[in-house]
Amino acid sequence: MKTLMLVALLASVVTSAGYAQDADSDVEAKILATEHMWGQAYVSKDPKALERILDDAFVNVDSDGILQTKAEVVAEVRTSTVVQFLTESMVVHLHGNTALVTGIFQLKGVDRGKPYAQRERFVDTWFHKNGQWVSIAGLVTRIGQ
Amino acid sequence: MVLVCATSLPGSGQKAGETDGATAVRVLEGERVKAQSHNDNQTLDLIFDNAVVYIENGQVISKGDYLLRVKSAKPQQQRIVLETMTVRTVENTAIVVGTYSKTDVQGGNSLLKRWRFVDTWVNKKGSWMLVAAAAVPLSK
Repeated sequence: MKTLMLVALLASVVTSAGYAQDADSDVEAKILATEHMWGQAYVSKDPKALERILDDAFVNVDSDGILQTKAEVVAEVRTSTVVQFLTESMVVHLHGNTALVTGIFQLKGVDRGKPYAQRERFVDTWFHKNGQWVSIAGLVTRIGQ
Repeated sequence: MVLVCATSLPGSGQKAGETDGATAVRVLEGERVKAQSHNDNQTLDLIFDNAVVYIENGQVISKGDYLLRVKSAKPQQQRIVLETMTVRTVENTAIVVGTYSKTDVQGGNSLLKRWRFVDTWVNKKGSWMLVAAAAVPLSK
């Protein structure tokens, strides 16, 4: 039920009749909401949410410099050990049908009984495609690295 | 603090199956490195969008701060060599993913570090502009 609600919410937030008709603030709000859902997907282990959020050709570079495809990120979510995911200082930079989001995420989790915490900076690139915003690239880096 | 020297560029010509936009961006990536190597702030100013998001060592740096740093760079402090680069275009947007090595020279000692980067370019009124550049050190 929780998953269904999340998917329904995601569909209503991400889908747009046309970004051109939306005020920039509306577009920014939609993208930020989707960023939050992305993080929550790790907590709820909800790969369906990410299937919609990420473009099929999405690529991510993690904080170890490892290149990940969409399939690899979705698999990571499926086996996630994250129990809390928070974002801070998120800023959206709009360039027409392309948007950049910078911010910091904090996550806490438990892996094989051992608690862990991470706080890292990210930059995501979004593109307005077929009426919805999808992420086409991302990069995560350790703060002060 | 930063001087970049391009000793080799991974294919500045058009690759098979590559769009004209991807080729243009590939060439611009090379131009960017050249401009950095010559402290050519005028060229960098044209390549970088005014609102560029530049992330280095986990910090967000403004275009102004970046250009100031390049301008005040001393020769032979740093050398960067592009190793790999793939360019993918989605309409007016291009994503570039690649790796480069960076050698810092200080006090006669040199330290080599390899990085993976993601750059985002947007075509604005016919010109490709760099709107985001970020890199992460490779752990291996």
